[in-house]
Amino acid sequence: MSAPVADTALPLVAVISAVPLLSEAVEEALQGMAEVRSFPAGGGDTDGFLRFLRPDAVVVDSADEARAAVRFVRDAGATLVHVSLPDRRLRLLRTGGWVEYTNGSASPERLRSALAAGLLRRRSHA
Amino acid sequence: MRRTSVVVADNGPIFRSGVRHLLERESDFAVSEAESFTDLARAVDTEEPDIALVDLDLPPTGGVAAVARLAPKCQTQMIVWSFDASRDTVIAAIAAGAKGYLQKRISPTGLIRSLRGVVRGEAPLPRDLATLMIAAVQGLEQRDRVRERAVVLSAREREVLALVSRGARNRQIAQSLSISEFTVKRHMQNILHKLDLPSRRAAALFYRSAFEPDTDPVERIA
Repeated sequence: MSAPVADTALPLVAVISAVPLLSEAVEEALQGMAEVRSFPAGGGDTDGFLRFLRPDAVVVDSADEARAAVRFVRDAGATLVHVSLPDRRLRLLRTGGWVEYTNGSASPERLRSALAAGLLRRRSHA
Repeated sequence: MRRTSVVVADNGPIFRSGVRHLLERESDFAVSEAESFTDLARAVDTEEPDIALVDLDLPPTGGVAAVARLAPKCQTQMIVWSFDASRDTVIAAIAAGAKGYLQKRISPTGLIRSLRGVVRGEAPLPRDLATLMIAAVQGLEQRDRVRERAVVLSAREREVLALVSRGARNRQIAQSLSISEFTVKRHMQNILHKLDLPSRRAAALFYRSAFEPDTDPVERIA
């Protein structure tokens, strides 16, 4: 199956979220560095959906969606960030597991650096 | 064109930045941020914003307390919002002086539409929260009606009824009030007659619906 995003030169970030305003925060954090597309959480078959979309990074706002995205992210070498807005927590999936940032460190700057580092690393490997 | 000034008072920097990003794209909004009550109070005092979006969990004492302190002293339209809202939370916010209540799961277009509505004098309230509010108001009215019916009871009868509502047997009531079991029975007959209720259970439900706010059995006995 071919990727539906072949036209764009920008990396693609998929935001799968129950809080639509999260994608606004991701757009703000990336400031044009990537194309951000927002999808409602809870649609089911997140893994299949991500394999079809083939994003360079995935941002989710629930532990369930995070679990569902891990396999694709591992296989594709993409970046996965879990932002829990009510708890003001941010987790970044690394090779060894999740790295968690809470309170003050769950900031837009942290979100930006987590996504930007992953996108640049992926681009340099491409 | 005069822009609508909005202060986003929220302890979550990522959420705040998302709201700011959304509103700054619109030419009719000017946005500022506050991360605590102190920041919000300062913003209200110095900037006199048209609207304040106040997080229910705003530090240090929460959004409802913040609204209660600020709303009487300013013209800013305070809107409280949260990820989850209960009926009591919404009522508390409105009673404190909030002009509306929103859920943070609102869509970007929904938020813009709501804020423009506030400028026109509308009170934003999602449909499901409006239903909760209507139910609450109706519950209060029914409770008032039930209390009016209770006026016919004597103080002693009300004491007996309070114990009945907690499941006490006649013997326990007699011991508790230092009266005979026969007198308790007579009080119960009088209570049922005065309130026109069919049974002891109905009387217990009546008492709870009138005097204990968290029960809602009014419709079963009215």
